[in-house]
Amino acid sequence: MLEIRDLQVRYGGITALAGVSIDVRQNETVLLVGANGAGKSSTINAVIGLVRTAGGSIRLDGKELTSIPCERRAREGIGYSPEGRRVFPSMTVAENVLSGAFGMGRRHQRESFDWLVSLFPFLAERASQPAGQLSGGQQQLVAISRAMCAMPRLLLLDEPFLGLAPIWVRQISDAIRQMQARNTTILMTEQMARPALKLATRGYVMRGGEVRRAGSVAEIQDSALAEEYL
Amino acid sequence: MHEFWSAAIIGVSLGAQYALLALGFTLIFGILGVINFAHGGFYALGGYVAYSAVSGLGLPYPLAVLAAVLVTAALGYVYELFVIERFVDDHLATMMLTLGLYLMISTGLLAVFGPQSPEFSFPVKGSYSIGALRIAKENLVVLAVCGCAIGAIYWLIYRTDLGRALRALADDRQVATTQGMRPRLLFPLAFGLATGLAGLTGALVTPILALSPSAGDPVLVTSFLTVILGGLGSIAGATIAALIVGFIEAYASVYLGGSAGALVLFIMVLVILLARPTGLFGRQIRGA
Repeated sequence: MLEIRDLQVRYGGITALAGVSIDVRQNETVLLVGANGAGKSSTINAVIGLVRTAGGSIRLDGKELTSIPCERRAREGIGYSPEGRRVFPSMTVAENVLSGAFGMGRRHQRESFDWLVSLFPFLAERASQPAGQLSGGQQQLVAISRAMCAMPRLLLLDEPFLGLAPIWVRQISDAIRQMQARNTTILMTEQMARPALKLATRGYVMRGGEVRRAGSVAEIQDSALAEEYL
Repeated sequence: MHEFWSAAIIGVSLGAQYALLALGFTLIFGILGVINFAHGGFYALGGYVAYSAVSGLGLPYPLAVLAAVLVTAALGYVYELFVIERFVDDHLATMMLTLGLYLMISTGLLAVFGPQSPEFSFPVKGSYSIGALRIAKENLVVLAVCGCAIGAIYWLIYRTDLGRALRALADDRQVATTQGMRPRLLFPLAFGLATGLAGLTGALVTPILALSPSAGDPVLVTSFLTVILGGLGSIAGATIAALIVGFIEAYASVYLGGSAGALVLFIMVLVILLARPTGLFGRQIRGA
């Protein structure tokens, strides 16, 4: 479904990605593992269009994404939850979630919101509260719900467990399982790899802007390189 | 006692006018991060478009006001799309570009219409009397139109998908873009909406006050003071601060004399900013 080939990203003179190739098949959950600076977030940001690529290709169901501007990639069916949550702080919880389905019509928004509330009743309880006033875990759930609201084909999750208490790790894991149950394809990054590996079907270990190892979850867990991150 | 109530009515009417101007000013700053120094120019332009539509084309006044809104909104939209948009993240450049636009509008009006104030009077005359209290009908009309416009802006910003998108862009442009919101489409719309509000106010108010190419000078100062008092970028803050400014001007004029209003206003803004540098409802502003 998602084919990344020889992807290169540079920030000024610094190479962030040096020829990364990754495949994500339909209905898979693929995990990118690696330390800070390994290139995980740069990969996700290149797929959503937040960073300009210096070379290589990104194809979603055969369609080249690198020439499509960031704001149009959401319409290609890509949902994105950024690292550090980044909810819209002055907007309410409900507005944050609904903004994920911008331009999709009131009916779609209402149905998606009702479905998300059935999964996470907290969204209804805090619907009119500014998202900037929530705890880190609550904000993460809002950010993921925002990404889920459009019912994307491909969901990009950048460090969804970062800095969260165990109770919120379980809640976020449940949210991801719900999207898996709806046959959503997921590409996620995580430094805190153990809870993420429970959700993934395959993984890639990254270091220094390159893929060092790829394989099933079991293979990733067994790899000596991955030991550093698990 | 009737002076007190007269001042209150004038204060509400002035406050509503300032609210329309300040809402436009704060929308542009909050969403684009641009301080629009041309805001007063759009106010004057709105007045001249309405005047030309009435005296030149013979249109009825309500249609002339509509024409003023459309012309100022269209000019704002086009200027943002083709000029501001290229430099939207460069604060110094956008300041110079909006200041330059203001100078172009005011000198253009001066060249076309001359320095004299044209004969442009409000079509509704007379007043209502309640005991000793007299309420000018023109104030009530302006208040009603401004009130409806403010209500429409609030509905748009807080109740529609478009408003949510504009507020999301104001909060975090990068993440909003990943959710499918298009700055290149929405920024000119926001700019055009704001300049249309300035044009509406100009068309409504200049027949009551005065129409001249420099009519926008005091408007820019008052709008700027109002949004600073309310908190740059805060929509509710701009509305409440505009009412405060309207009341201060009205009461100071009635009880202290004509020019005292501006003096009291400046002193009050200074005191409030010393106590609250972000204004009454302001948040920490992103780095400029």
